[in-house]
Amino acid sequence: MPQNDDDIITKLVVISSDSVLPIDAAMKVYESETSIVIKETCFGTMVTGPREAVNRVVEELVDLDRNHIFVKERGFPPGDERRCRASRGGGPRPGFHYLREEVRTLPMIGRALDDYDKKVPLKEVAHKKKLDVKKLAEIIESA
Amino acid sequence: MNDDAVVKVALVSCGSEYAGVHGELESVAGSVNARLVYPEIDVSILDTIGKEFGIEAASPDLRLMMARAKAVVEGITDVDGVFITSCFRCAEAAIVRNEIRRYIHKYSDIPVISYSFTERTTAATLMTRMEALTTIARRRHLLAREHQSGLTAGIDSGSTTTKAVIMKDDRILGSGWVPTIKVIESATEAFELALKEAGVDREDIQALGTTGYGRFLVGEHFKAQLIQEEITVNSKGAVYLADKQKGSATVIDIGGMDNKAISVEDGIPGMFTMGGICAGASGRFLDMTAKRLGVDITELGSLAVKGMQEKVEMNSYCIVFGIQSLVNSLAKGSTPEDVAAAACHSVVEQIFEQQLQEVDVKEPLILVGGSSLIEGVPKALSELLKIKVLVPPNSHLIGAVGSALLASGYVEE
Amino acid sequence: MVKVIIYPTNSLILSDLVERFGHTPLAMMEKIKEKISTVGVDSPPLNITPEEPKMGLKYAAVEVPAGVRGRMAIVGPMIDEAEAGIIVNESPMAFGCMGCARTNELTKFLIRDRDIPVLEVDYPEDEDEAREFVYKIAEFLGSLSKDEKEGQE
Repeated sequence: MPQNDDDIITKLVVISSDSVLPIDAAMKVYESETSIVIKETCFGTMVTGPREAVNRVVEELVDLDRNHIFVKERGFPPGDERRCRASRGGGPRPGFHYLREEVRTLPMIGRALDDYDKKVPLKEVAHKKKLDVKKLAEIIESA
Repeated sequence: MNDDAVVKVALVSCGSEYAGVHGELESVAGSVNARLVYPEIDVSILDTIGKEFGIEAASPDLRLMMARAKAVVEGITDVDGVFITSCFRCAEAAIVRNEIRRYIHKYSDIPVISYSFTERTTAATLMTRMEALTTIARRRHLLAREHQSGLTAGIDSGSTTTKAVIMKDDRILGSGWVPTIKVIESATEAFELALKEAGVDREDIQALGTTGYGRFLVGEHFKAQLIQEEITVNSKGAVYLADKQKGSATVIDIGGMDNKAISVEDGIPGMFTMGGICAGASGRFLDMTAKRLGVDITELGSLAVKGMQEKVEMNSYCIVFGIQSLVNSLAKGSTPEDVAAAACHSVVEQIFEQQLQEVDVKEPLILVGGSSLIEGVPKALSELLKIKVLVPPNSHLIGAVGSALLASGYVEE
Repeated sequence: MVKVIIYPTNSLILSDLVERFGHTPLAMMEKIKEKISTVGVDSPPLNITPEEPKMGLKYAAVEVPAGVRGRMAIVGPMIDEAEAGIIVNESPMAFGCMGCARTNELTKFLIRDRDIPVLEVDYPEDEDEAREFVYKIAEFLGSLSKDEKEGQE
């Protein structure tokens, strides 16, 4: 086992962009680095390799569309037998469901980041409160 | 399904990966040639499953359990058995686990086991349960057997006593019953007693089955045709002895060290639990009580039926503190009859609280195992559950009879 | 650069935002990586052994289920290490590391109980809320850098 094994990391890159496609990202990676492996999985592009190289490549990727490409480090390397659904008899790994929820929110987060950059002022958001009991009583009585 | 086929067991679990027991689950499955599978679900169901199933559990992984159970019942994932497991002491998980168990049992005929683990749970603890689960999937044809035929023998090498029977065409020709000291020696002794009473030679036996704690050792020693855990053997033996082979039944086996509660349908176990946490819920408690009262264990039952347990105050089920309560009562003037009744009640009540919650009790309720012969025990159980408790003839020989019955499947016509 | 504990501990969005605004996210994924690449430990799938629930006793008593204590053995040290925290409430269904409601209650408590700056926001449900969510987090993370600079002076 190589000594610098600890320095091999996997980052998950989720592209939520109108201008960049996952394939563009893949091409970009292959152009710039040879020491890393990328893999399209059922939940994003995984970039695996030495920490420094991965960070450099991911930085370049994110620069393609800064506010609409999201990154997190991942515990398991892609296709790890212990987690890959192909080898663990059916259902996806538990974290997958949460990721799916988050990915659905990414377009909104991306637009919010754009607005933040442009210093668009924040609208006062009215948060719904539970109806006051007295109000409810009034409604019941008036019915 | 033949004996070599891999049995697919759906793992419906919460917390096992984080409790350090997941590896044990994988390992026990592997040792009985089973494979754990994770039912495939449609992810969108996770948003609605709480209301749909009916429990809006706060823990998302419990919702995942419900969704996986649904996938099993609907046949989206094809499995041979289900293992439902969650953390011991988690109330939320206990509620979900129980309801999932009932749900699968109600809507499918897939065998289910339910278990709550701690970080100390090992593969060895789960072995008998997993073995039973795979047997039910693999050997349905064997479990369908309703009659004993040919000349067969069964040996039940239990933790406290070893039992042996010789059977021929549905009749018990001879039996042996000895305390377990050394596994092989005690089995040999019980077997010899049974052979002698039956008046047959060992060579004449056409097939032998073994069960109980020492089943592997004894089975290997006597070259048994069938080596089988006690859950399937005892449920089969119970409905056979009680002549209730068709329809539903509940089998309770109070053993020397642990107890089994099994829901049986047409002689095949559907849901079962095994308890082995507390000696206060075992035959050992009754043994200790008998010693304290200075009577033989065979006399404890007749004493108990004459007594009133209500007259004795017991503040613990524990084999140490509970027995102390009984001794204190004697010192305060309680009669041995009342104390014997209280002991029977204590054992039964703990089984009721800790085990019968895990299976649905359906009549007839068949009580087996050595403790069933202590008349106070079935009486206390009947009073507690408010149903009739059936103790079939030779109920103490249950494992041996069940083994002899199932072994007759190996008698060549 | 400040170490920020995020809750949910496996969140893509939070991990990304913390890093985007110049800090280090303390997230579950890296801890899991440490676990699974420990040579000589073979307790699939996460390499959590019966030792973890025992280590978790530092954070939760023995009557707390093993699954909670096992998770706390991983999350607890992250909280201890944190210099700031972001908690997202009302988050949609989280699973796996975040699959246990009891663990999550304890995690949030321990973050709040630390004497560190903590931001609490609700998970956004529409565009306006998303903007509020991002702005608040960005401002909070920005203020951490200022504090840090002032601290250094």
